Amino acid sequence: MSMRDVSAYSLVHATVRALYSTMLAPETWNTLVQAQDFDALLNVLSKTVYSPYLQIERQELTPRRAVYQIRWHLADVCEKLIRLTPEPGHQLLLQLWRTYEVDNLKATLRGIETGASWDQVRHLLYPMTRYIALTTADIEKMVRSGDMERAIELTRHTPYYETLVHALERYRAERNLFPLEVALDMNYRRGVWQSVNQLTDTDHEQALRVVGTVLDVNNLLWAIRYRVYHHLSEQEVINYTLPFGYQVRDRDIRAIAAGADIAQVVRGVYPDVEVSPLISGAEEGESGLAALELSLQRHVVKMCHAAFIGYPFHVGIPAAYLLLNEHEIRDLTVLIEAKSSHLLMEMFASMLEIQPVGAGLPTTPPQTDQR
Amino acid sequence: MFRPQAMSKIELAVPERDVVPVTEALADSGLFHPALAGRLGGERASRQAEDWHERAVAFAALERRILAVMEALGVDEGPPPAETPHLVEPETAQMDIERLEREARAPVQELEEGQRRLTQLQRYLSQLKPIAGLEVDLDTLRSLRYTFALPGTMPIANLERFQTSLELIPSALVTLRREDHLATVVLFGTQRDADILSRAARSAYLNPLELPETYRGTPAEAITALESGIERTRQYVAECRSSIDYLRQAHVQRLRHLLWRVRASRTLVETIARYDRLRYTYLAAGWVPASQVPTLKQKIEQVSDKVLLEVSMPRRQEDGHIPVALGNPPIVRAFQGLVTNYGYPRYGEMDPTPVLALTFSLVFGIMFGDVGHGLVLALLGLALVSRKVRALRGLSGMGAVVIACGITAMIFGFLYGSVFGFEEVLKPLWIRPIEDVMDILLTTVAIGIGLLSLGMVCNIVNAALARRWGHLVFDHNGLAGLIFYWSLIGLAASAFMGDLPISPIPLAALAAVSGLAVTFAELLEHLVEGRRPLVEGGLGTYLMQALFELFETIIGLLSNTLSYVRMGAFAVAHGALSMVVFIMAESVSPAHGVGYWIVLMLGNLLVIGFEGLIVGIQTLRLEYYEFFSKFFSGGGVRYRPLTLIPRGEE
Repeated sequence: MSMRDVSAYSLVHATVRALYSTMLAPETWNTLVQAQDFDALLNVLSKTVYSPYLQIERQELTPRRAVYQIRWHLADVCEKLIRLTPEPGHQLLLQLWRTYEVDNLKATLRGIETGASWDQVRHLLYPMTRYIALTTADIEKMVRSGDMERAIELTRHTPYYETLVHALERYRAERNLFPLEVALDMNYRRGVWQSVNQLTDTDHEQALRVVGTVLDVNNLLWAIRYRVYHHLSEQEVINYTLPFGYQVRDRDIRAIAAGADIAQVVRGVYPDVEVSPLISGAEEGESGLAALELSLQRHVVKMCHAAFIGYPFHVGIPAAYLLLNEHEIRDLTVLIEAKSSHLLMEMFASMLEIQPVGAGLPTTPPQTDQR
Repeated sequence: MFRPQAMSKIELAVPERDVVPVTEALADSGLFHPALAGRLGGERASRQAEDWHERAVAFAALERRILAVMEALGVDEGPPPAETPHLVEPETAQMDIERLEREARAPVQELEEGQRRLTQLQRYLSQLKPIAGLEVDLDTLRSLRYTFALPGTMPIANLERFQTSLELIPSALVTLRREDHLATVVLFGTQRDADILSRAARSAYLNPLELPETYRGTPAEAITALESGIERTRQYVAECRSSIDYLRQAHVQRLRHLLWRVRASRTLVETIARYDRLRYTYLAAGWVPASQVPTLKQKIEQVSDKVLLEVSMPRRQEDGHIPVALGNPPIVRAFQGLVTNYGYPRYGEMDPTPVLALTFSLVFGIMFGDVGHGLVLALLGLALVSRKVRALRGLSGMGAVVIACGITAMIFGFLYGSVFGFEEVLKPLWIRPIEDVMDILLTTVAIGIGLLSLGMVCNIVNAALARRWGHLVFDHNGLAGLIFYWSLIGLAASAFMGDLPISPIPLAALAAVSGLAVTFAELLEHLVEGRRPLVEGGLGTYLMQALFELFETIIGLLSNTLSYVRMGAFAVAHGALSMVVFIMAESVSPAHGVGYWIVLMLGNLLVIGFEGLIVGIQTLRLEYYEFFSKFFSGGGVRYRPLTLIPRGEE
């Protein structure tokens, strides 16, 4: 235990502990899953930490708006923890925070591509007010410009500009958002890896365990998706993935790119994770991939919870909490969409990442195309 | 002090012609927190409502246009004006904006066009420079038959990965130049592999060199042509910039004034659009601190004598929507930040700030009892509050907390007889923790029991305030929980200490009855509060869940209580650390020379800094985790009075 660590993470740790205790309890999840409809779901949420965010006029609280509102909680806790965390952990949290900015940017580009209006786009975004390169006003201007090149020009003051401008050449040639989105993602993930590597000692070790696992899972899943969904060549899969990670090695990615048995590769990296043998096929591969994705996301959740055990003064604690909160909101999004579409419990309960819920509920997704 | 400021609900019936000045007065007062619309009845989808909505949309569009002009001319927003601007008609503002746009459009477009052209030419130049020495006609490179050659630029970050991906394809990647984040490269291979190589290059974001065919001859000749083109474009861009500078100087004040006026107008009309309406009257509702109602009335009367104003007390079912303004005296206000860091209390709840102020200081003092160390902390707190040390200004809000902690540390220092670790200077008024370890540990457990009981009492008070009688009686942190807790403590005490004035039999009976109440708390609460169904889900599941909850309650009470042992442990550790400092000082200078005092001083600083910090964390943890969880959930709405322009954050 070093004095630097204790002094750096004292307040953060106490705050995260308090926030951690406000995460939705298993009983609340059960009540949410079993809620009759969207209104009943909102009623349950109104007794949780999300309550203040849902206090808007009921007629305005559409499912999409509800998702947007509960994301404010994530924004509040992220901003709070970034503010409290000193350097160099501060930089890592900033990078993690940027994932939502990258998501917002991608949603904006998709909006521009499909000719969506600002009103259609605004509630698809993650609300972000501080520690951002791209303000809501910037995004609004981008959407209203209605033109990809002009929109990218409006990001000139941000760290995304160079990446976007370079990828724009391919967008012009292919008229497809894929190169822009992949370029943003890769650039973002490289930034996160850099932030992890700037840490030292316990910070580095814990950030690797938590954030490194997230990067691993993303890298692995993308390599599989490029092969199974997009049918890309070996060279393309390699170029669209990253050569570093915590447990996933470059040889694993290259093996997937070269056409090795996916289930075997994944089992080699994560012996404890359930992998469907169907994953290598084409049609079946898609449902197998959905199941794998779920298993890996649950593995991430497990790693995040594990960060709270043992020595507490490190950046892994706030990082793990933020990731857990993100997973909680993703699960709530699934529930909101499911309840507003009146889906049967069997169809969505198994898709929840944060925990398999309730007695007798399925924990693996139904064998259909989950894309 | 123990509850958020009492709020009054204000309902206003405002004649149509006065709606703007009245809303301006409401905003100007800085007291009125608008309630959600649709609560007063009236016609919400009327023609007037649509008018206001349309005006709000128009103002939002105008604001964007002004900002666009400001950005193009390089004008910032400037500070908000001292006086809130009045409503401007959208048509009037639009005429102003159109004129400004007309003046700015041409030079801005010319500048953008010039900059685009310049960037393009510079890109061609940077791609050509690495091959400037090649004595090959560019047209030859454009028409290779057997060799695949792909010159272009790509991100440096992708280079290594690209080379990895090409390991199995006969090819050569030559890097000609690295500049900023981009590398100029040429990929060579055979035409047979052209497709694979092109796909691989594309996936590595290698953007091929696309020099227009107008640039002919050798690369050196093309570079000369490009350089003269760049020079001409630079001059053109400079001319555009100077005309934009002139425009900026001419319009900066006008643009800022217009922006703030349009912004204030937008907030104003958006507020009015949310009012409910009768035919010729607007119905507004909001919340005002009860003590400020006369001030608000006065403000309204100054602008209209036709406003009907009804003041009412909040109804219970509105609790979740009533904004919370914490009204603590300055002495405890500093602790408010620690509460709001956890969450805002709900309106019906008690404000835990005063309780936190007392318990936080007490717990800290117990763990950090030393007159000298406490004095240093108190002085540090004073320095923070005074804001005289520039580097510490950001922490001035915490100054009072540090002072309070310093004072309680001094009080416990007298009780422990410790001054900067010297144990012989003062006679302890109570005990020396390091010598009476069991006494201090048991005492702190007892204090912990007291604090947890206080938490439960707070929960009972909250339930009483909310008139949730079932919750008050049966909740595991309510009356039943409190009786259960104390009867368990009584049983434990009689088991370990033997002769208690109360026999264990009534204690066991009390524990059984209250334990049953806690086990079936949900069912009993529903029964008392008239909520149905009594049990959610099947009876079997409920019984299992209830038993697990009882088990969890017992474990929770035990672990929460034992958590407070750390107070005693830290009091002992504080003494032990001081002792270590003395041993080190002795070993450096047995004759108590300068070295002795230097080590002593540094050691004390270390104890104050390092241990003070740990004790601070532990105190916060005990407050947030053990204490708050008994009665405080947060989730209240912050009081945010209406304002037309930002006046600084709370």
